[in-house]
Amino acid sequence: MENYLDIKGRVLNIQRYCGEDGPGTRTTVFVKGCSLRCKWCSNPESIKQKYELDYDRKLCKGAAACGKCLKEPFPQGAFYVVDGPDDKVHANWDLANITEEMAGLCPTGAIGIFGREMTARAVLDEVLKDESMYRNTGGGLTISGGECLLQPDFTAAILRGAQESGIHTAIETAGNVPWAYMEKVLQYVDLMLHDNKLMDAERHKKWTGVDNKRILENFKKAYEMFPEKQFITRTPTIPGINATEEHIRAVLEFIRPYKNVIDYELLPYHRYGTGKYEFLGKVYELKDFESPSDELLQHLRGIIDEAFGRNTQEK
Amino acid sequence: MKEIKRVAIALGAGFTPGVNAIIMGAAISAHRLGWQVVGIIDGFEGLLFPERYPNKGLIDLNADTISKLNPLESDAMGTASMVDPFNVRSINDLDMVEEVDMSDLLLQNLKKENIDAVIAIMMGRGLSILHKLNLKGLQSVCIPRSVENDMAATAVSFGFNSALSFTIEMLDRAKGAAKSAHRVGVIEVLGAKSGWLALQSGTAVLADAVIMPEYPCDVNRLAEHLKSRINRDRPYGLVVVAEGASFTNLSGTTTSEKSMALKKALSPLAKEEESGQFVINRSGKAAAVLSNALQSMMTEEIFPLVLGPWTRGGSATAVDRQLGLAYGSASVRALQSGQSGTMVSFMPPSMQFVPLIDSLNKVRTVQEESYFIEIARSLGIFTGE
Repeated sequence: MENYLDIKGRVLNIQRYCGEDGPGTRTTVFVKGCSLRCKWCSNPESIKQKYELDYDRKLCKGAAACGKCLKEPFPQGAFYVVDGPDDKVHANWDLANITEEMAGLCPTGAIGIFGREMTARAVLDEVLKDESMYRNTGGGLTISGGECLLQPDFTAAILRGAQESGIHTAIETAGNVPWAYMEKVLQYVDLMLHDNKLMDAERHKKWTGVDNKRILENFKKAYEMFPEKQFITRTPTIPGINATEEHIRAVLEFIRPYKNVIDYELLPYHRYGTGKYEFLGKVYELKDFESPSDELLQHLRGIIDEAFGRNTQEK
Repeated sequence: MKEIKRVAIALGAGFTPGVNAIIMGAAISAHRLGWQVVGIIDGFEGLLFPERYPNKGLIDLNADTISKLNPLESDAMGTASMVDPFNVRSINDLDMVEEVDMSDLLLQNLKKENIDAVIAIMMGRGLSILHKLNLKGLQSVCIPRSVENDMAATAVSFGFNSALSFTIEMLDRAKGAAKSAHRVGVIEVLGAKSGWLALQSGTAVLADAVIMPEYPCDVNRLAEHLKSRINRDRPYGLVVVAEGASFTNLSGTTTSEKSMALKKALSPLAKEEESGQFVINRSGKAAAVLSNALQSMMTEEIFPLVLGPWTRGGSATAVDRQLGLAYGSASVRALQSGQSGTMVSFMPPSMQFVPLIDSLNKVRTVQEESYFIEIARSLGIFTGE
């Protein structure tokens, strides 16, 4: 019989020494594929399940010095040069259906592939490299995305492996999956960080692609059926979309009955992911939105601190 | 090649003034050959989701319909924000968002509607998508449209003249405002990859400087140039900057380690920007950034203004009206002669047909040896290089 760690999944990236995705210093595993299409997404390379071309034009040596991608085996029209003094190659993502072998032909690494197939065991081996650091800092493993619950068996296997090694486990999820997926994974989770992007169903649909009915139902079930787990809800805070008292208070009202929801965090919106849209040949739709001001964040966080009975000055 | 009896016209994403002229040119020429003509509503969406539209997503472009169209407008068929049948955003059975390849369905529905060929009015990514449909067997001819005139293999794209005329009119007004207020206007115009609109409009209004994506602009040199032009008798200035312009010697471009750490935390694959050259990748910001930089170096008051989206609206000029009819008519000639996978190219004085693959990966940029650059320099206009 196969070992549960033999299962394969699509991984985008494994990042060590993270300080943002749960307590202590952690390793965050980003898996590929998401079931939402949030217009502000700062990880666009994680959205699609299929592997995608990653092209960083800055690393290109130029057509005259190299030009390998302008010839076979690369598909016709996948890469090209524009007339002018700058002979660095451009990519046409619509025609660039390339393989990992092809990407390997680029000597500077300008051409890459977003996403790779890995076994849960291979992921776990990476995670275990920092076992002592987790112990020293109170850290652990976080699986993020994309949406890690889109690959429930793979995610559950990694988390189970980590827990069996005594490592603290966390996931980051937006919750838009069938409940069975979430339930399967939650048994191996110590802390679930989950988004609460918009409380209004219609606005949620406009900005993320689907309404929030199932998402909210999933979160309620998670709080109720897994009382021993810890939950932190989060809002990517964007002026003009959800950076309002109304939204904050609605989320607080939603989580109020549940003692296992230990915090509510605001993640101020930044345009840090916009450069990556370029690597993917995509257009960033939210380019005209601004980050929330420090004053606004302080005000909104004050409301949360009050609800959690904390002194604002202490936080 | 199958005999053509019925053709469809598809319009790619984005607004261009006066597209009705192309539709009229194509339809009238096709009718003269005895062909039926239909328009696909909202790009390819009409045929991908016929149940959402009246008449199965098609508009009958018969002689009566055509006679009622206004050639200055673009209202005949509607547009879609995305026209990519290979990546149609959908919600699956599990209520999850995903992109689905519906190109086969599109080809099937074209066949079901007895459409033998497609005349596609496209720009940008639309060309690649059309190329992929051609590879799957679609007979099509492409008509280039671009208000920025950045499409290769044609001398003038449809829509450029209308955008140019409007931009010149707006720059004249901005210049008047600068003149009366003794200020320097920094006016951002369209042009993400090429500076034709900035160069030709800036030259027409005798701007002090034209900054284009092709030539990174040294802000110190620009400031020096402006100072040399502004005096008591001429206490104002005008800089025309394309939205895709890049700058050197712009202060505040270095990224601190602290903010990079935050960047990486929020966005794990974020890479540090190249230092030394500041590239604007956000429409509407080139003017603001350049104004701020100039203000720190000059005593005259600088004001930024962004024309961007305004340029895409409005009606077609007389030149575009003629060009539209000519492009439409030529597309039918291309189909009549059995061509497919081609683009109609205006190479004065004639219309020619070029392989689509030869034009889809090229940008028509402003070259150093361009006559327009020579004109600008001979008029004392700073062009950034």
